[in-house]
Amino acid sequence: MLTQEILGRDAYLLTIELKLFWTIAALYVTAVPLFLLFTFTRLKSIGNLARGILTGAATLHIILVIFRTFEGGRAPFQTLYESLSWFACSAAVTFLIVSRKWKDFRLPGAFVATLCAGACFYALFGRDPAVEPLSPPLQSYWFESHVFLAFTSYAVFIVSCSIEASCLILRPFLKRGMIIADGFTEESIRRYRRTSFNLVTFGFPLLTFCVFSGAAWANEAWGRYWSWDPKETWSLITWSVFTIYLHAYGIRKWRGNVASYINILGFFCMMMTFLGVNWLAKILGIPSLHLYSV
Amino acid sequence: MIIVKKIYLWLSSLRGSIYVLGLLCVFFLLGTVFPQGRDIALYEERGGAFLPLVKLLDLLNIFNSVWFLSLSFIFFLCLLFCAIRRYGIVSNKEKGLPKNIKPRYSLRTCWGVGEANEEAFQVIEKTLNFKRIGQNDGWVILQKGLYYKWLTWLYHAAIIACFPGLLLSGFFMTEGILTLEAGKETEIKSMMGDETLGWLVSPDHPLPSFTIILDEFLTEYVEFPELIYPDDKRSRFAIALGWKDLEYELKENSLFPKDWLSRLRLIRGGETVAEKTIEVNHPLKFESYSFYQLAYTQTLNLRINNSKELIEVDTGRRAQEIAGLNSKVKVGTLRTGTLFKLNGTKVKISPFLMMKEVITDAEGKVTTREEQKLELGKSIIIDGDKIELIDFQEKSMLSYRYDPGVPLLWVFGSLVFLIMALRCFGRWYMLAYKIEVKDGKTLLLLSVKSKGLLADPEWLKDKITRIINA
Repeated sequence: MLTQEILGRDAYLLTIELKLFWTIAALYVTAVPLFLLFTFTRLKSIGNLARGILTGAATLHIILVIFRTFEGGRAPFQTLYESLSWFACSAAVTFLIVSRKWKDFRLPGAFVATLCAGACFYALFGRDPAVEPLSPPLQSYWFESHVFLAFTSYAVFIVSCSIEASCLILRPFLKRGMIIADGFTEESIRRYRRTSFNLVTFGFPLLTFCVFSGAAWANEAWGRYWSWDPKETWSLITWSVFTIYLHAYGIRKWRGNVASYINILGFFCMMMTFLGVNWLAKILGIPSLHLYSV
Repeated sequence: MIIVKKIYLWLSSLRGSIYVLGLLCVFFLLGTVFPQGRDIALYEERGGAFLPLVKLLDLLNIFNSVWFLSLSFIFFLCLLFCAIRRYGIVSNKEKGLPKNIKPRYSLRTCWGVGEANEEAFQVIEKTLNFKRIGQNDGWVILQKGLYYKWLTWLYHAAIIACFPGLLLSGFFMTEGILTLEAGKETEIKSMMGDETLGWLVSPDHPLPSFTIILDEFLTEYVEFPELIYPDDKRSRFAIALGWKDLEYELKENSLFPKDWLSRLRLIRGGETVAEKTIEVNHPLKFESYSFYQLAYTQTLNLRINNSKELIEVDTGRRAQEIAGLNSKVKVGTLRTGTLFKLNGTKVKISPFLMMKEVITDAEGKVTTREEQKLELGKSIIIDGDKIELIDFQEKSMLSYRYDPGVPLLWVFGSLVFLIMALRCFGRWYMLAYKIEVKDGKTLLLLSVKSKGLLADPEWLKDKITRIINA
């Protein structure tokens, strides 16, 4: 194939990809008010519609990720554009799997859909969608497993945080007997919190593997397994906060709201590891080996 | 003695671990806010808003500060005391047996009263392979799977076992940077400032008994077309709506580094003892030393305005002044080596670089002129000056490291992960059963406790029901 033909083909494929990505972002945005509307009205049809739209968005997003994988000929999480897309996709899919049996509890959906839409629009408005080859440091067998498991743990923590945040929001309404908390009892909140705990229990070994494999990878690439790089340090902060959460859950008195707040703090630390550290390093002029350009 | 016991109990408690970990997080956070390794004088010169605190807590070198190391030691004690205390609990089988058991499921069976105990034994212990661990108030107590308390204890112990690895690294590691010129035998001695040494390594420690030679340094590129993509949000949206087209453009300098490789040999007593072509992620390991491909440097020999003297210029720097030139220039990376083209072919790159004039006006505003391609043996004109590329040298930058702590860390780090995964995902059941006869019917009462994400008491109950009814 001639070079010009290859360039034309790649531009055409990227145009299709972008159109699909915009559609997905629009679907995520549409799902947000519907999830909220269900929470305030308790109309089952609206709840089902919100979930249906999110399912549609996630299905299209999986197709988009597969499409991008073929387009780039590698795992689609090298650039921040790709990582944001993968981040949103994995969060939406995880939420749909976890919430498949929930009937009255849709508020976490609003949280997850907002985050997915935010990630998609940040990628679409703020990042360059060009398919880049893998740079030499990323050409390692650690690349796929390290990043894949990192984002899987992120997705799980997002859903866990969305549950905790929703429980914290709904609990006061439950005491006042308002419609927003219809169908909820203290027992159901305890059950949802248990689900949230199980999600962290699922994500925590994955995060541990990420920290460990990241160190192994750094040792192989640069000869130093730990260099207190901001990204490394924030991943350690995230790991420590979730460790605190798991320990706090073991203390009966802390199992309720205290553990919830720690879980939410863990989510913010995770977001710092993923995105915030880029800004922090830029603002403070701290060099980092892991930065996406900002 | 009471105080010591109180400290022991606090450090080995959940709350103790939480507070120590929380404090560690604060230190980690400070380490990302204050630039590490910077000179305190420079910090003071640039404003130094928190200078007293920075000095007190050694915030510019926080991870080597007394405060952080002390806290890490307390964390280690936390883990150690916790492991010692939990060992007593975990290994005491009697303590692990549940008391005041309440039935969770009541299954109706067709067993006769006399044979019920034997049938239950057959189903639960023979068919489902549960292991009997004791009896309490008429309940037979059994378990299946790896005991979660042991797993929890073991991965905490594995974390403790990582600490000697960390200490070995901290005490004995040696680390430095080598800049190698092709064909020149070099001692293993850092060339970029001082070596980073472990706390117990003397600055005049003996050098390794071997030297290193770079036989060849190679660079490889792939063609990387530039995407013509608008910066403004409206135009980006217009592409989504099909109102604008996307385009890729292949420029002269549209190259992306695919790899850089160094062909290395280690020499001892005039003989080659190890050789390897290294690249990023593929180091050369020999005895307890490892050599890593870090980067490379390029020096150009330029002739300015037909002058007899050649001027040496480094590439890839920000705008620089070159003797004999009227204006500042930005000298791009020299492209040489092999190019893998989009159409699948492979060509040798005729060495070239891109150069552009950088203009700073009276108000300090910086602008650049259009890039020009400077090829080996050819010349360009910038601001009236003739620049000719006569020759160039490439040097390979390697980092080397001696770290006796790494093997220990990998072994115990892997164990931490594996055991933690088993603890979190693996199935563990504690089952208690009892036969009860009510209204002439034989009931199998079950109490189930489970741990691990894959454990499901409902599934277990259904399975027992199916076996009983089969």
